[in-house]
Amino acid sequence: MNGIRSSYLRFRKTPAFTGFILFLISIVLNTVIQGFASGNALAFFNPNALSTLITSNAPFILVTMAQSLLLISGTLDMSIGIQIALVNVVCIMIPQELGAPVEVGWLCAILAAVAASLLSGFGCAVLRLPPLLVGYAMTFIIKGVNVLVMDIPQGKVPKAYWKPYQSPLFGFLPVALLIILLVFCAWLYLKRTKFGRYIYAVGGNPRNAFAAGINPVKVQIQAFVLKGVITGIAGICLTLMTASGNPLQAEDYGLRSLSACILGGLGFGGWGSMSCAVFGAGFFVVIQNTVYYLFTLLPKIIPGFAVTSYWQNMVSDVILLLGLFMTIVTAKAQRETLKQGLVKQFRRGEKYAK
Amino acid sequence: MQNNASTARMGFSSSLKHFVKASPARMALILAALLFLITVLINPNGLNPTAIGSIILMTTLLAISAAGQTMVLISGGIDFGVGSVMSAAAILTTYTMNGQNGHFVQVLVMALLMGAAIGAMNGICVVKIGLPPMIVTMAISNIVTRLQYVFTQGSPSGYASPLFVKSVTARIGGVIPFIVFYAMLIFPLVLFVINRTRFGKQMYMVGNNRVAARLTGVRVNRIVILTYVFSGLLSSFAGMLGAAYMNTARCQIFDDYAFTSLVAVIVGGTSFSGGIGTFGGTIAGALLMTVLSNALTTLALSQPLRNILNGVIVVLLLILYNRSKSVRQ
Amino acid sequence: MFEMRGIDKQFDAVVALKKASLTIEPGKITALLGSNGSGKSTMVKVLAGLVNPNGGEVLMDGKPIQIRSGMDSRKYGIATAFQDLSLIPTMSVIDNILLGNEPMGSMGMVDRKKALREVNELLERFQIDCDPNDYVNTLMPSAQSMLEVAKAVKHKPRLLLLDEVTAALHHDEIDILFRVLRELREEGVAMVYVTHRMNEIFQICDSATIMRGGETVISAPVSELTLSDIVFYMTGKRPEVSDKNPTVEHHFSADAVPVLDVENLKISPKVKDISLKAYEGEIIGIGGLEGQGQSELIRAVLGEIQPENGTIRFLGKDRRFKAPADGVKSGIGFISGERNREAIFAERTISENIFAGNAAKGGLFSYLKASTVKNFARNAVEKYRIKIGELKNPANSLSGGNQQKLVVARWIAMGPKLLLLDDPTKGVDIHSRLEIHDILRQCAKDGMTVIMSASDTDELLAIADRIYVFYEGKVSGMLSGESKNAQRLVACMMGMTGKEEAVQK
Repeated sequence: MNGIRSSYLRFRKTPAFTGFILFLISIVLNTVIQGFASGNALAFFNPNALSTLITSNAPFILVTMAQSLLLISGTLDMSIGIQIALVNVVCIMIPQELGAPVEVGWLCAILAAVAASLLSGFGCAVLRLPPLLVGYAMTFIIKGVNVLVMDIPQGKVPKAYWKPYQSPLFGFLPVALLIILLVFCAWLYLKRTKFGRYIYAVGGNPRNAFAAGINPVKVQIQAFVLKGVITGIAGICLTLMTASGNPLQAEDYGLRSLSACILGGLGFGGWGSMSCAVFGAGFFVVIQNTVYYLFTLLPKIIPGFAVTSYWQNMVSDVILLLGLFMTIVTAKAQRETLKQGLVKQFRRGEKYAK
Repeated sequence: MQNNASTARMGFSSSLKHFVKASPARMALILAALLFLITVLINPNGLNPTAIGSIILMTTLLAISAAGQTMVLISGGIDFGVGSVMSAAAILTTYTMNGQNGHFVQVLVMALLMGAAIGAMNGICVVKIGLPPMIVTMAISNIVTRLQYVFTQGSPSGYASPLFVKSVTARIGGVIPFIVFYAMLIFPLVLFVINRTRFGKQMYMVGNNRVAARLTGVRVNRIVILTYVFSGLLSSFAGMLGAAYMNTARCQIFDDYAFTSLVAVIVGGTSFSGGIGTFGGTIAGALLMTVLSNALTTLALSQPLRNILNGVIVVLLLILYNRSKSVRQ
Repeated sequence: MFEMRGIDKQFDAVVALKKASLTIEPGKITALLGSNGSGKSTMVKVLAGLVNPNGGEVLMDGKPIQIRSGMDSRKYGIATAFQDLSLIPTMSVIDNILLGNEPMGSMGMVDRKKALREVNELLERFQIDCDPNDYVNTLMPSAQSMLEVAKAVKHKPRLLLLDEVTAALHHDEIDILFRVLRELREEGVAMVYVTHRMNEIFQICDSATIMRGGETVISAPVSELTLSDIVFYMTGKRPEVSDKNPTVEHHFSADAVPVLDVENLKISPKVKDISLKAYEGEIIGIGGLEGQGQSELIRAVLGEIQPENGTIRFLGKDRRFKAPADGVKSGIGFISGERNREAIFAERTISENIFAGNAAKGGLFSYLKASTVKNFARNAVEKYRIKIGELKNPANSLSGGNQQKLVVARWIAMGPKLLLLDDPTKGVDIHSRLEIHDILRQCAKDGMTVIMSASDTDELLAIADRIYVFYEGKVSGMLSGESKNAQRLVACMMGMTGKEEAVQK
């Protein structure tokens, strides 16, 4: 009992606490509303529905995880959204135009994402330009490239590829979830290596990291490369889900992944971890799901209730804003522990001042 | 003495950097002129009164929408809502005017009220939530966009009144659009607020050093909220003028302006970190951005090539202007 | 062992180093001295790889070396404890200390157990009492400073650079630090010690190199130097022996209304029970070791901190300011010693900086002429004969001492009834310090009440008419007239409150 309590207290101090609480709230809300809407209290936990939810949102969750790597190392890439479209385009076009095997297309797609990330990274880390605006410019460039390669939405993925992706393993375990877990485990490993320490140091204070013998430019470039790889994986997931190509999709993932990271408790530079991103993205996804069921529920309760689907988007955006407000409350717990730390230190200081 | 000696020792690239730093506005003007010259050399058809007139018109529109952004950036924030407020104001304008003259004052009051309300919302949320302004203003801007769809069912109706359209787009001598009269009203007002009031001074103080500003007796939150209110007001006014220029509106019609205005402000020499910047610079930056997009149109490139070129040029401009300091000196 | 020869450095147009040189020998502690802006920190940063010199060479064991980055610096066995701390606040103690030096375990992962053991040993050696897993931003400033040194020592350097590391330390911590430094000296580690505190030089340093205006003036063993020599080489002037400005003793009738009357103030955790009075035209000093509640009291009066208990009477009225803006409006001025963080608008011009106090007061949207700002600044500068260069230059073109004069000018030009100063001469060279003192005296003569905290006892004795000494959030003594002397002051600072030093009201 005591062990649980103390680990809870330790968890409260971690940045992921904010996102965890939001995520929990969203799940509770979803369960209740979906339960009422479908007349089955545990409809949300139905393996098929849940697996569809995860599978269709895996690209977004992965992108948010990739973005979190950059945020930790003190930079960001807004063009990550359109980079997914780039991956999608390459995935489709290489097999279609060159007759290469699908796997080669995937490999090229990941390389393309890494190349695009490197270019962004070059602008942010080496040229030291404001990351936000580099992302803006990169979005234009990549958009142009995408359309040059694929002028209109087209192409398809062989069924042998998308079918296994879209059908859960053993009937309940979505492949997408496995991929997300794999990426997350890679992060858990990375966090314990030198590189893991260095991205925190560089994000926390690049000058001091430099003084400690770390090359901030190199570390940020490495973070961009990793982000590129994850983006590539996300793009492949998207391709397998849509089973077609579209050069101009997912652009808004850039800004949305950023919001999701912040909602999850990541700060700009050196504060937070990838679990924040997972919780933040989870909150995003589950809230949208909840609002969908809310709008199927409302006409049942209120006779004559009829609104356009535009309302759904608005309500979920309003809830996201409320989520930002919620971070005041959850972050307060952290500020409190911070303050307690100071008081504790002060008491200890008294010991010396005789 | 010392100054001259060290300047002489500086290479071309650092003296160029010095020149840019000394007056980003001047630099932006020179670049705009050069870019225009190149355009005309490649495609002489680009040099005609209509093109010049529309450059002036678009520059004015962009400068007005970027004016509030300038204030917000000076005070150390960022406003992503410029584009969505402009779109909303444009929709409001065409809907209310519905092609009829005589609603100008009504529209003006409504648009400004809406702009001020959204701005105040932005400001208050930024101050209260304490998260990066980028995220907060983005969230609110999304809601504004969604509201556009909710209220118009996705397809806004109506037209700007003919008189209002004329007051923006009619040309003096076939060249200079009437919108300059609005500019003659707005620009001095903005310049006055930024340079000749205590509010302006406090804005710079807050942006440069928030803690110091507070300890010097500035009510920091009030100043921050006010800058967002100004941004909302100016964007909604720009949205009205934009509606007159386009004659009709659709949802998200001016969303591009969120980033274009930001780039114009940055290219005009305002710093991302706050405390530095001028409205003069922003006007020059707006001109540069407009000339750039004019160049891309005149060169009759395909849309994807235009996008790529646009991105590359923005990066080049940023390299010239806004590199942060190296960790090593 | 290490030698720097003919080092030049310009930052844009500002010359920081002019043919500066420094020789460092193993097993010796070399003091690097100089007033603000003399280039000592730049010298340290050249060795640390943070500053790229424009000319000159660095030699190690007689061979020239290139230090291009923090990595190079470490490679040559140089470790640095920086004045502005190189810790990363959002990382834990353990991660900070081992940053770039992590013990590696299996599969390229950091060996947590070994890391913990190493860090605990180090914390033990420096007697830093903290949890290795605490985030650094939850530590006291003094603990952070000690960590900074511990981190540098962890690298087992051949050359240890210490840039004003004692500024935030308690007396006891300084003793611990010096013990470790002496041990390192025995082991043959070379050290460069930068400080403003003169007594430390004689305590621990073997030789001294003194800089002025970016040039090396002299290098000599400490035993051959006197304090007066050092000040002479630093400033070019001999210090005057007598107090040229004796402080004033005021006598107030019992019914005189104090400008500021604080009673039983309590602000957790630092201020427990503080009462003090300040009358018109007085200069009140607040003494004590660092962190005994001085800044909290001053900030509470201004309205920056809300006290839990007690009363603050300003000009005879009960006041609880909600924000500094209210305090400033009612005629209070505040000068912080933390210039960069709390006072200077580095990117704005000198005249705007001086006008800042005025800009914060009055109608937000009333018309402000360009000449108003300029004239205001010029008047302030002329009235108090402050030499701070061209008014249109940005404030960050000034040295630390001049920046502080700028802040002083900002407030006295406002003519506040009460001027609060929180350790205003921290890190300010002796020359500017004396100028600031003169200005404050002149203001007090004109009827302004001045309350000033200072960490330097000599400074307090030189300027204050009365001194309240704080100890653990309480007033441990009030010194005035006869009782105002160094012995009593130090005794009260240590909390030794005998009967004779009982608080006098």
